[in-house]
Amino acid sequence: MSFLTVENIVKDFGGLVANNNVSFTIEEGEIIGLIGPNGAGKTTLFNCIVGYHRPDSGKVTFRGKDITGMKPFATNREGIGRTFQIMKVTTGMTVLENVMVGAFCRTNDRNTARGKALEVLNDLALDGVKDYYINELPIAIQRKVGLARTLATKPVLLMLDEVASGLNPKEIEDVVELLRRLNNTKKITLFLIEHIMEMVMKVSQRVIVLDYGEKIAEGLPADIVRNENVIKAYLGEKYAQGL
Amino acid sequence: MEKLKDALDFSDFSKAERIGLIIFSVFLLVFPWLGTGSFAKTVMIQFLLFSLFGMGWNTIGGYGGQVELGKAQYVGIGAYTVALMMVWWKIPFWISMPAGILIAIGYSFAIGYPLFRLKGHYFAIATICTSLVLKDIFDNWSLVGAAKGVELPIHEHPDFVYMQFKSDTYYYFFIMALFYIGLFYMNWFRKSKLGYQLRMIKDDEDAAESLGIDIRWCKIKAYSIASAFVAVGGGFMAVYNLYIDPASTMELSLSIKIALMAMLGGAASLWGPIIGAAFLVPLDRFLGSWLGGQKGLTGIDFMIYAALIMIVSAYQPRGIWGIIEQFRKRGR
Repeated sequence: MSFLTVENIVKDFGGLVANNNVSFTIEEGEIIGLIGPNGAGKTTLFNCIVGYHRPDSGKVTFRGKDITGMKPFATNREGIGRTFQIMKVTTGMTVLENVMVGAFCRTNDRNTARGKALEVLNDLALDGVKDYYINELPIAIQRKVGLARTLATKPVLLMLDEVASGLNPKEIEDVVELLRRLNNTKKITLFLIEHIMEMVMKVSQRVIVLDYGEKIAEGLPADIVRNENVIKAYLGEKYAQGL
Repeated sequence: MEKLKDALDFSDFSKAERIGLIIFSVFLLVFPWLGTGSFAKTVMIQFLLFSLFGMGWNTIGGYGGQVELGKAQYVGIGAYTVALMMVWWKIPFWISMPAGILIAIGYSFAIGYPLFRLKGHYFAIATICTSLVLKDIFDNWSLVGAAKGVELPIHEHPDFVYMQFKSDTYYYFFIMALFYIGLFYMNWFRKSKLGYQLRMIKDDEDAAESLGIDIRWCKIKAYSIASAFVAVGGGFMAVYNLYIDPASTMELSLSIKIALMAMLGGAASLWGPIIGAAFLVPLDRFLGSWLGGQKGLTGIDFMIYAALIMIVSAYQPRGIWGIIEQFRKRGR
């Protein structure tokens, strides 16, 4: 039994086929990268798994349980955490309160939630900004807050939608290190959409490539960059020559 | 126990706010002996009643950010339950008011379930409609007195079983007690799991859902809490006015006043509805009696309310309390 099994997912937005017959599996403890050109259907695939979209056909199984078409809050309770590509910059709650909302997923007690939230913030070196509002923070920190509140829900599978976009090389370095640490010490399985190839190559153990809604390749990062279909659809000749 | 401690704990407010609350409470306590006359007492009772309504609205409307414009139907439910049970079966207030709360909660679940499929403006319109439908039913239902309404029997002596008094002072202290129960409840509520989850829903629904929050269920819960609050106020209105009809308990203008008071004072803050009521209740009295009565300009008060809504939403969506906080931030 695989950790996450995705079978023949089809999602059709009124004639625009965003996902066409996508199938793959993820094993527990893996780090999987999902790449592809803009509009390839990566975020749609995430949404189909997590439950923001109901796939037209196909099946998603998580830890032996059929979660196809389950609502996002329900898949979260099953143990799937998800971060967003664009984090809404909100003014209503402080960083600590944001993370506490995540922690409330697993408890009803405020003090427990607060303790858990502080623990996560401490772990991500965010305790210095805990009383700030999200709109007062730079984008790299905002991303981390988004990650922190998802981590507070105690996911076993973490799905990250472009967690490194808009960050500078130093910040990317930090994120890579953080993700590796989550994977190593907390045993969280990672599934990430990423455009920054440098990062994909560094962290992923396996890479899945989407193009026009279809899976065109899957394999080790080193093989993927030499795959002709992938070069044609996404990486481009220049990238291949630079290797 | 833990909940009670949270409800009575105001320590996360600033010193100025806590001192303000103490001064305000002392004022409320000594007010009947200030010799201000019966008109002032009536206004104070209205102020406390509308603060209670506003606090209830604040759960779903303020913390949850759902523009809810149908609270009057729950005033009606609370008021009619108390009045009819008393007139038909002579049931004491202390049984009929909880019954009114239960009916309000049951009704709020029944209509909240389909209503919260809607979002934003559609939700606001739908709440107005359900309230108007209920008013129309009561206007034409002869069993419950139709548009003529229900009159409660008058008791000569103070009656604590039916909560009927000749003197307004009794009513004043009664509504004050309800006001404080409401205030302490809201002080607990804003720190509760549901309070946090609602604020997240208001900020970003997609993110809230990704954090394991069942959005619709949370909204329904907050909506029913708001309805219970308002039904308590409705029950009080029945024994205080000794006469209720659909026009005084279920009118759209009442729903709008409730929402407007909380929004003007400051939605999603503990003090907001109180500040809003302190501002709008006297204004309402003034506009009603002076403009409506003496100058014959009935209806102009609604124009002023509409203007207030526009000013608040354009200038400071967080109301008077938001303006105060802005200045405090600048001062730091």
